[in-house]
Amino acid sequence: MRKFKLFLASVAILLSGAAALAQNITVKGTVSDAAGEPIIAAGVVIDGTTKGTVTGANGEYTISVPANASLRFSSIGYKDQLIPVDGKAVINVTLTEDATKLEDAVIVAYGTVSKESLTGSVTTLKSDEIASAPVTSVDKMLAGKLAGVTVTQGSGQPGSTSTIRVRGTSSISAGNEPLWVVDGIPMMASDFRQLAAVGVGGGSSSTFLNPNDIESITVLKDAAAASIYGSRAANGVILVTTKSGKSGRAKFTARAKYGVQQLANDNNLRPLTGLEALEYKRTAVINAGKDPDDPTGSMYFPYTLLENGADNWYKELTKIGSIQEYEVNATGGSDKNSYYSSLAYHKNVGVYNFTDFERFTARVNADSQLTKSLKTGARVNLSYSNSHSPQMGGSYYINPQFAMWHPLPWHKIRNEDGSLNYDISEMSNNNPLGTANDDYNDKEYRLQGSSYIEWKIFPSLTFKTTNGVEFLFIESHQYWSPNGSKKGREATAFNIWTTDMRYTTSNTLTFDKAFGDHHVRVMGGQEAMTDTYKYIYGYSPGVDPLIPYPTTATAEKDQVDYNIVEETLQSFFGYAEYSFAHKYSIQATVRRDGSSLFGSANKWGTFYSFGGSWNIANEKFMKPISGAVSQAKLRASYGVNGNNNISAYRAYGIYATVQNLGAVGAAPSRPENPELSWEKNKTWNVGLDFGLFDDRITGSVDVYNRLTTDMLLATQVPYTTGFGSNTKNVGSIQNKGVELLLEGVLFRKGNFSWTAGFNIAFNRSLVLDLAGNEFLTMSDSRIDDSTSIRIKEGNSLYTFYLRNWAGVNPSNGDGLFWTEDGTLTNDRNKAEYIYVGSPEPKATGGFNTNITWKNWTLGAYFQFVAGNKVLTSNSYVDDGYSLTANTSNAALNYWKQPGDTGVTPKPVAQNPGVYHAGYSTRFLQDGSYLRIKDVTLSYDVPSKYTDAIKIKGARIYVSALNPYTFHNVTALDPEAGPLGNIEVGVHTAVKSLIGGVEISF
Amino acid sequence: MKKISLYILATVALVSLASCGKDFLEKAPKLQQSTEIQLATYDGLNSATLGAYYYLSSTGWYTGDRVVENEMRAGNGMKQAFKNSGRCTTGYNWQYTADATNTTMWAYCYYTVAMANNVIDNLEGKADGETVTDQDLNNLKAECLFLRAFAHFENVLVFGQPYTYVKANEASLTDAQKLGVPYVYHTDATARPARETVLNTYDYIVKDLLEAESIIDPKYVRSGVADKLGTVNIYTIQALLSRVYLYMGEWQKSADYATKVIDSGKFKMWTAKEWPDVWGADLGSGEIIFEVYGKISNGNNGSWDDISYLTNPEGYGDPVATPTLLGLYEATDVRLTDGFRTDAKKESGYFWTNKYPGKGDRSPNDVNNVPILRLSEMYLNRAEAILNGAVVAGVNGIDDLNMIPNNRGASAYAVLNKTNIKLERRKEFAWEGNYLNDLARWGDGVTRPATDFVLGTKNQNVEFPSYMWALPIPKRELDLNENLVPNPGYANTK
Repeated sequence: MRKFKLFLASVAILLSGAAALAQNITVKGTVSDAAGEPIIAAGVVIDGTTKGTVTGANGEYTISVPANASLRFSSIGYKDQLIPVDGKAVINVTLTEDATKLEDAVIVAYGTVSKESLTGSVTTLKSDEIASAPVTSVDKMLAGKLAGVTVTQGSGQPGSTSTIRVRGTSSISAGNEPLWVVDGIPMMASDFRQLAAVGVGGGSSSTFLNPNDIESITVLKDAAAASIYGSRAANGVILVTTKSGKSGRAKFTARAKYGVQQLANDNNLRPLTGLEALEYKRTAVINAGKDPDDPTGSMYFPYTLLENGADNWYKELTKIGSIQEYEVNATGGSDKNSYYSSLAYHKNVGVYNFTDFERFTARVNADSQLTKSLKTGARVNLSYSNSHSPQMGGSYYINPQFAMWHPLPWHKIRNEDGSLNYDISEMSNNNPLGTANDDYNDKEYRLQGSSYIEWKIFPSLTFKTTNGVEFLFIESHQYWSPNGSKKGREATAFNIWTTDMRYTTSNTLTFDKAFGDHHVRVMGGQEAMTDTYKYIYGYSPGVDPLIPYPTTATAEKDQVDYNIVEETLQSFFGYAEYSFAHKYSIQATVRRDGSSLFGSANKWGTFYSFGGSWNIANEKFMKPISGAVSQAKLRASYGVNGNNNISAYRAYGIYATVQNLGAVGAAPSRPENPELSWEKNKTWNVGLDFGLFDDRITGSVDVYNRLTTDMLLATQVPYTTGFGSNTKNVGSIQNKGVELLLEGVLFRKGNFSWTAGFNIAFNRSLVLDLAGNEFLTMSDSRIDDSTSIRIKEGNSLYTFYLRNWAGVNPSNGDGLFWTEDGTLTNDRNKAEYIYVGSPEPKATGGFNTNITWKNWTLGAYFQFVAGNKVLTSNSYVDDGYSLTANTSNAALNYWKQPGDTGVTPKPVAQNPGVYHAGYSTRFLQDGSYLRIKDVTLSYDVPSKYTDAIKIKGARIYVSALNPYTFHNVTALDPEAGPLGNIEVGVHTAVKSLIGGVEISF
Repeated sequence: MKKISLYILATVALVSLASCGKDFLEKAPKLQQSTEIQLATYDGLNSATLGAYYYLSSTGWYTGDRVVENEMRAGNGMKQAFKNSGRCTTGYNWQYTADATNTTMWAYCYYTVAMANNVIDNLEGKADGETVTDQDLNNLKAECLFLRAFAHFENVLVFGQPYTYVKANEASLTDAQKLGVPYVYHTDATARPARETVLNTYDYIVKDLLEAESIIDPKYVRSGVADKLGTVNIYTIQALLSRVYLYMGEWQKSADYATKVIDSGKFKMWTAKEWPDVWGADLGSGEIIFEVYGKISNGNNGSWDDISYLTNPEGYGDPVATPTLLGLYEATDVRLTDGFRTDAKKESGYFWTNKYPGKGDRSPNDVNNVPILRLSEMYLNRAEAILNGAVVAGVNGIDDLNMIPNNRGASAYAVLNKTNIKLERRKEFAWEGNYLNDLARWGDGVTRPATDFVLGTKNQNVEFPSYMWALPIPKRELDLNENLVPNPGYANTK
C-alpha cells in the first residue's frame, strides 16, 4: 500500500514538475506524532494543488515547492496541518491526533466499524484510560467509568472478583454476568477458585489479565450491538482487545509500583473499648434488674475485669497491607512482522493476617503478514496466581472479619507470656491468630490463547478463522491445623483439583466495500465451543500435622468426590450493514445458536436485531451551526437475545440416590424438561451522540427498555405428575432506563488543560409476571436470613420484606414495631412484615477530572450510587442482649431517659424483646455513597533529563485508591451486591496509597 | 493463490472436524442417572424400586402425621397446656380448608405412584434369562404394584368418603360426594387426571394387589435392606388385601386373606411379657407384617419432627392420650401399663403414647419404627368378617377376637359382637393411626366429652355422615388441574 502510494505520488510529481520549475526551493523534514514516533506515508501536498509527496520509512520527506507556497501535511487519524514555507529549508511537523470521535474505528463483535455507522449502544475505554489507574484487575477499573455498567466489588480481599451488571439485573434464576470476549474468543464465566472465598461474581477471566496489556475495552449494551452473540448476549458483552505490536525498533517499557493499604472505615465504626463495653454491659445488667457487682449472680460484671487492661481486637486482627507490581513489556517489528510481549508480577498482602494474593502474567501477541493477502497471528496469555486466606466469609470465630467484633475486650488475644490465649468462651475457645498454620490456598494456572488466519480473497472480501483455547488448572489445598482452638482439632487436609478446558473456533467471511456514497458490509460466520469441567476432591481427616497430606490419613477416613460437566455450543451468524453518504446507516444481525444446555425440543434458538442511525450533523441544513453542533447522530435499535447462563443438564430428568431402609435406593429428583430453553431479552434502544462547540463537549444519551421473557422459573405442577414443581420458561421482568455520558474540555490554554467527564445511569426494574407465584425469595449464601428479599409482581426486582420497626418508645426505651392493625407493640413476633425499599440504586455513575500543567497531571475519579437501600448486620447493635459478645460503637447512642429519641433501645441484658434479632426495617439504611475512587498525581519527566540518561520517557506517579467514601451506612463500607446485604463476616473494601514509576526505552 | 486456498481449506477442515460431530450438542450428565438411564437396566430398576419406599418414612406420612393427626381427629389424642408447641391443632379441630388440608398426603401418594409407575412401565425386555429372570422382574413389579395400590389407598382414605358409605348410598349421593382420587397408571407430565369414584378407586387398588399377589415369588424378600419387614413380600400384599376388603365390607375375602397370613406361620402374637419391649426395637418382630423403618440415616428422617420426639413428654409432647381412651383399659392390661408414659417429673397428670419411645439412634430427637400391618389386625379383621357372615373352616370368631386380650393381660370377651370388636380395635391399635378409618367405615361419628377436648376450639363432635369425612382437595391441585372436582361442603374451594 505504501509502495503504491509512493508510486502514485511520484507520478503526480513527475507530471506537475514542469509547471513548478520556476522559483522552486527544496524543503526537507520529518513528520512525527505527538510521541515523537515517525509517521510513515503521511501526505505532504502543496496547498491548493494536487502536487505533493509522501513520507518515507523514517517519516522523512523531500519536496520541491515554490518559496511562497504552503504545505498541507495529512495522515489518517491525525489533524491536517497547513504550514507556510516562507523560504525555510527544513520543516519538521508534529501531527496531533484527530479528536473528531465519530470517525474513530470502534471495535465491535467480529470486527471494527466506524463510529459513524454504529447503530447500537456501545461504550469504549481506551488504553490510556485503562492503564492510568493503578488497579489490580480489569473488572475493577470499569467501576463508575461506563454509563449503565455497575461494578460491585464483592470483597476487599486480595485477588477478589467483582459483580458486573450491564443495565440492571435481568434474570432471577439464570446468570446475570456479562459475556467477556478477549481477542474474539468468549471466555469462561465462573471463578473456579475453591477456597480463598474471593470468587463472588463474574469477570474472573479478566482477573488474570494484566491491565496494561489491554488496548481497549468495548461494552456492548443493547441488542443491536450484542445480539450477534445470540444466546449469551442478554447481559451485555465486554470485548477486550489486547495490544498488538507496533512496527519499528523495539520499544521497551518497565513499570514498578509499591503501595500500602488498610481497611476502609470512613465512618469510624469500631468495637467498644474495654471501659465502654464494661459500662454498657453493667447498664444492661442493671436494666435487667440484676446486680453487676454480685459475684454469686449470673451477670457478674465488676470493674475488676479491666484489671489487666483490654485489647482492641479490631486493631489486633487487622494490619497495613502492601501491594507491589513490576512489569516489563516490549513491542516492535518489521514491516511484515510485529510483536508485543509483556511479563508482570503482582503481589498483594492483605489487611487481615494470612491473606495474600500474587499473580504472574506473561503475554505474547504476534502478527505476521505472510503474503500480500494472507495474515496470521497469535495471542497468548499465561497466568499463575496464588492466593492464601484464613477461613473467611462467614460467622466463624476464626474469621478475623467476624472475630474482630465479637470477643469481650478484656479477653486478651495473648497471654502474659506472649502465647495466644485460647481461653475465650464466647469464641468457643478459638483464637483467629491461632490459625497461622491453617491454609486456604488456591493456585491457579491459566492459559488463554488464540491464533488467527486472515485471508483477503479480494480487497473487499476477507475470510478469517480464529481458534482459541482456554485451559485452567486450579490446585486448592485446605488445611486445618490442630491448634486454633483450646481443645485442639483433628488435623485435616482437603485437596481439590479443578480443571476446565474450553476450545472455540470462530470463522467469518466479510464483504466490505464502498461504491461512491454507498457502503456495504456483510459478514457471515460459524462458531463452535466445547467446554469440559472436572473436579476431584479429597478429604483427609486425621493427617499428621508434620506431613499434612492425604498419605498420612487412614485409608478408611479418606473420602473422594468427583464431578464432570460438559457443555457445547454451535452457532451460525450473519451481519449486514449499509450506509449512505455518511448520513444514514442501517444494520441487521442474526444468530442461530444450538446449545447442549437445553432440552431436546429446544436445542436451537434464533436471535436477531435491527438498527438504524442518522448522522444529522452531516446534513446540509446543519452546516450553518456546525460550529456549535459539531456532531449529532441519532440511533435506534431493537433486538432479541438470549441468556443461556444456567447449569448443565437441567433438561434431563434425574434420579438421585436416597438413603432408605438402611440401604441406598434411587428416587426422582428432577423431572425431565425437553422444553427447557433460553431466557429471552427484547431490547429497544434510542440514543443520541453529540458534540458541541467544535467537540469541546461530547456525549451521548441513551434510553432503553429491556424486557426479559421466557424467564426460567420453578413453576408449580400438579403432584399427580410425580413432582411439585418444574423449571419452565415462564415469567417476565422489565428493566428500563436512561444513560447520559458527557465529556468536555473545560479549559485549555498553552500548556494547561482541564478536562472532565461525567456519566449517570438510571435503571428501573419491574417484575411483570411470576407465572402464578405470589412471590419468590432470594437466597444469598452469605447471610443467615436469606429471605429478607422478595420478588413480587408489580415491585422492582428485589424488594426487602421485613418486620416493620417503629423506633424506640421515648417513655421507656423499649423497641417498638408496627402490627398489621396499625398499633404499636414491643413484641417482635407480633410485628407486621412489609415490603419496603429495594437494593436497586435509583442512579449510578461516576465523574472524573484531569488537570494537566506542563508535565504534571492530576486526575481524579469519583463513583457514586444513589437511592438504594442496604440491610446492615444486626451484629453491631444488640441492645445489651448478649452477655458474652462485644458490640460496636453504634450501640452507644442508646435510650437513657424519657424523652430520648433517635436512639437505639435501652440496653437490657438478655433483652426479652430481642429487638435486634431477625431482620427488621431497623437495619434498613440508605445505601447511597460517593466514593473517591482514585486520585493520581503524575509527572512526565521532561525529555532533556530522559535524553541525558538515554531513555525515551519516564513517568512518576502517586495514587490514592478509595481514599474516602461519603456514606451513612452502619458498616465499614457501604458497597453491597445486587441483593443489598452487608454482613459482618464479609471482607469489605480497602484503601490504598500507591507510588509508581514507568520508564520507556 | 493455490497454496493459500489449500492452507485455508486445511485449517477449516481441521477445526470443523472437532465441532461438527453428529451428537455435538448432546451432553448427558455422567454422574447422576438420567431418568432414562436409571430405568434402562435391571439394577437401575431395582434401586428405583427401593427408592419408591422413600416417602413412607417421612413425617408427613408414617413417622408423623398419618399416625398422630388421625389419633387427634378420632378422639384418642388431645392437646393440653402442659406441653404445647403449637403443633397438632388442625386435625384436632378438624379445621380443614382447601388451603390447609392434608396436601402432604396427596403429594406423597403421587410421588410414590410415580416412582412405582416408572419401574412398572420400564420392566419389559429387561430379563436376560440368566442373571435376570422374568421372575426377578415380576418381583419388582409386585413391589411397585403394591406401593401404587397402597399409596392410592392411603390417599382415598383421606380425600374420599368411606367405601361402605358410598356403596350403600350410591343412588342418593351426588357425583361429587362419591369421588375418590385420581388413579394414576402411567405418570405423565402433561396428564391432568380426573378423580375416580371411591368405588372405582378401591376396585383399582384391589386389582393391583391381586396382580401383585399372583406374580410375586412367594419366597421373595428384598435383599440388601436393613429391615426386611419394611419391604413387600407376599404376606404384605395379602395382609393389605385383608384390610382393603374389610374396609369394603367384602367380609369373606377379608377373612380369607387374613387366614392366609395367619396360617403362613411367619408371624407370631406378642405375649404380654414381650409386648413392652417391641416398640423401641430396631427391627420389627413377631406380629409385624409391614412397618416403616426409622433410622437417622434415612434421607428424610424427621429429626425434631419425628413421631418419637413429638409424642415424647420431654420432647414437643403436644399430643396426649384422652382420658376416654385411657379409661378403656383394664388395670392389668399391658397396653395401659406399658403403652403410655407420663412426664419425667410426673407433674402433668397426662399420658403420652409409649409406642414410639425411640430406638436410641440419637438423643433427644430420636427415631422409631412405625407399624403399618400387624398380625393382631388379621385376627380382628377375621373376627369382624365372621361376625358379618364370613365362614372360615375351623375358625371361631370369638377365638380370633380373644387372641388379642389373651396376649395383653386383659380379660377375654364372652361374646363376639360389634361393640366388642370396636372396643378391641380401638384399644389395640390406639396411636397407630387406624381408629379414625374404622370410625368412618362403621359410620360412627366422633364424640368427644369436654375432658377429651382440652384446648379444642371447634368441631368437638363430628357426626357421620358429614362432608367433613372427606378432606378438601388441595387448592393448588385444583388450580393446576382443571379436571379435578373439589369436595363439597368446603368454602372457597374453586
